[in-house]
Amino acid sequence: MPYFDHSATTPLHPQVIDKMNEVSEFNYGNPSSLYSSGRKSKAIIEKARHLIAQTIEALASEIYFTGSGTEANNMVIWSMIYGNKKHIITSAVEHPAILNVIEQLKPFGVSSTILPVNSEGQVNPKDLEASIREDTGLVSIMMVNNEVGTIQPIKTLSEIAQNSNIPFHSDSVQALGKIPLSVKELGAQFLSFSGHKFYGPKGVGFLYCKKETKLNSLIIGGSQEENKRAGTENVAGIAGLGEAAKLIYENLNKRMNHLIELETLFKEKINELNLSIIYNGDPNNNVPGLISISFPGNRSDILLAKLDRNGIELSNGSACGSGITKPSPVLKAMGISDEDNLSTLRISFGRSNTKDDIHQLVKEIGLIIND
Amino acid sequence: MTEPIIVGISGGVDSSVTALLLKEQGFNVECIFMKNWEGDDENCTSEEDYKDALAVCDHLGIQLHSVNFAKEYWENVFKYFIDEYAKGRTPNPDVLCNREVKFKAFLDYSLKLGAKKISTGHYARVKKNGDKYALYKGLDENKDQSYFLYLLGQQQLSKSMFPIGEIKKNEVRKIAQSSGLINYAKKDSTGICFIGEQKFFKDFLKKYIPAKPGFIQTTDGSNCGEHDGLMYYTIGQRKGLGIGGGFGNKEEPWFVSDKDLENNILIVAQGHDHPALFHKKLFADQLHWISGIPPKNISNLSAKIRYRQKDQNCKLSLSNNEECTVEFETPQFAITPGQSIVFYDKEECLGGAIIDHWR
Repeated sequence: MPYFDHSATTPLHPQVIDKMNEVSEFNYGNPSSLYSSGRKSKAIIEKARHLIAQTIEALASEIYFTGSGTEANNMVIWSMIYGNKKHIITSAVEHPAILNVIEQLKPFGVSSTILPVNSEGQVNPKDLEASIREDTGLVSIMMVNNEVGTIQPIKTLSEIAQNSNIPFHSDSVQALGKIPLSVKELGAQFLSFSGHKFYGPKGVGFLYCKKETKLNSLIIGGSQEENKRAGTENVAGIAGLGEAAKLIYENLNKRMNHLIELETLFKEKINELNLSIIYNGDPNNNVPGLISISFPGNRSDILLAKLDRNGIELSNGSACGSGITKPSPVLKAMGISDEDNLSTLRISFGRSNTKDDIHQLVKEIGLIIND
Repeated sequence: MTEPIIVGISGGVDSSVTALLLKEQGFNVECIFMKNWEGDDENCTSEEDYKDALAVCDHLGIQLHSVNFAKEYWENVFKYFIDEYAKGRTPNPDVLCNREVKFKAFLDYSLKLGAKKISTGHYARVKKNGDKYALYKGLDENKDQSYFLYLLGQQQLSKSMFPIGEIKKNEVRKIAQSSGLINYAKKDSTGICFIGEQKFFKDFLKKYIPAKPGFIQTTDGSNCGEHDGLMYYTIGQRKGLGIGGGFGNKEEPWFVSDKDLENNILIVAQGHDHPALFHKKLFADQLHWISGIPPKNISNLSAKIRYRQKDQNCKLSLSNNEECTVEFETPQFAITPGQSIVFYDKEECLGGAIIDHWR
């Protein structure tokens, strides 16, 4: 069954499955225990930490395991309430895992400036510069947008924050495994990641926190993760996460080329259908393999249902808990009309997609729209 | 695959068993979960029901889609509902919801999705007699919902299936349980869908219509209390009038018998059998016939003036295509302007109209 929603989640890589099975079967020890089986579990976690650090060119001690990318975001943003500078600058196209957290922190005195984006989804660095205040305590701008794939000028934005001594955070869950990512290069203080976006397990994520940056713990209890994240570790999940990161380290270029190839083929084939289409995003700054495409005059929920019926899985904008399609706030922020918004599909390719899959996808889209 | 039958699934037991029965009958079945109301503080209030629908569809191996008709509901049902209350009448939003949402927006959407027919968990039956489609009561007398479907027409009925109309409610629950549906014991929904429990009714209405308090008078014109706003009361209502002792000479309860809209006075009568509460004739408008034309025997029909009422013998005289006068064999308790009168010929639901006033 062709699956084209890798921005939502990815299937586990077979090597990740093997790794997790092995750990689940043989390593039951509590990593905090001092005897042999405990030490073994601890070693598995530390090995994974090293693999992850290597992949993003960080120090192992700068990696904190969490239960999700969302949790990593929460850790960083909730930390604000302990400081004196409670103003956050973020962007209009962030995930709810940023925007809703900031909203929730209002009663704690946290205020925010939400930067607009241009029609291609990018934040203007000048807007960031202009909105920095005396009490700005954090800048949080996502690295890659989950709906349109636009890559933000993180290095520039991060530099602006650094110049004013403001820590910079980037929700990077959509970036890892799709573009080269080095913390040395970016100079950010915090980056959030999620395992299941890069062929790792669900329910595990991690936060990169640059050494000597102040961070408070969100989940409080035991002394796991250097007192930054209490709770007995998800050992098998973390092992799987490490394995998935290692695979990125080894295969990033190959994966990127594969995605570019699929994307090129898709665009070529869809052009042959002579449909009226609009691509959303930034053609010069987009992650490979993520396509946001509007078919004016065609309701995306109907398209989705018909594709789903034929075993083709992809998504549209943002659906709420009851699966109801609403105009996507991201596309709205980019100035796209509600009508085009509601006729937009998000197609995101992955490592197991083949050229045949693309041919089938384009063929089905053509059949449905021309029906 | 053949063209699917698309079931409007609510997460409740009736629509779930509808999907199950159609599947067992060999149809290609898909389900759609409709969201018709946007909650005030939550974007997705219907999430609990959606989860049940999802679990049922997964269990039955049926595709589930979702769609939002909140805008259609607001424009075509809710505005009318509020307008009617503002006029002191008692509307029935479910009747309109069926015509405007379930058998219009949902039907159109399903047809766009390539459906052959739609199906809902209504206790009613459709039959084709010659070249006409006819609506019949559900076989379970206690659950019959044809009353709510009288505004449907030929096109809608030709595209509709009501499989549970052929069985009884307890049977529906048994099927659900023996088939392993998680919601087999789920409580039936009651009240007006967007308000929920009756006790929230006043507060809800207050948000949309300014309340105008006034006096309560007995049928002979003496003041006996104060009301919070005529819209909060329904003809025949007994509870919540707040008429204390000292009025009337018996220990009998008071009932709302009329509303004087001009003077903002609520009129009450004492005792259930008070003649002010009973009328033999009524005038109704917005007349609709399921077959498209009036039946031949209009002097020998039966009717319900509220849901679940026993059929009442009556004769009809038509003023024109839209309006009619109905005369009952026996006087009717609490004829309520704004409610629907639905006409029957034994088991067949013929159509209906909106009650305007009694005579």
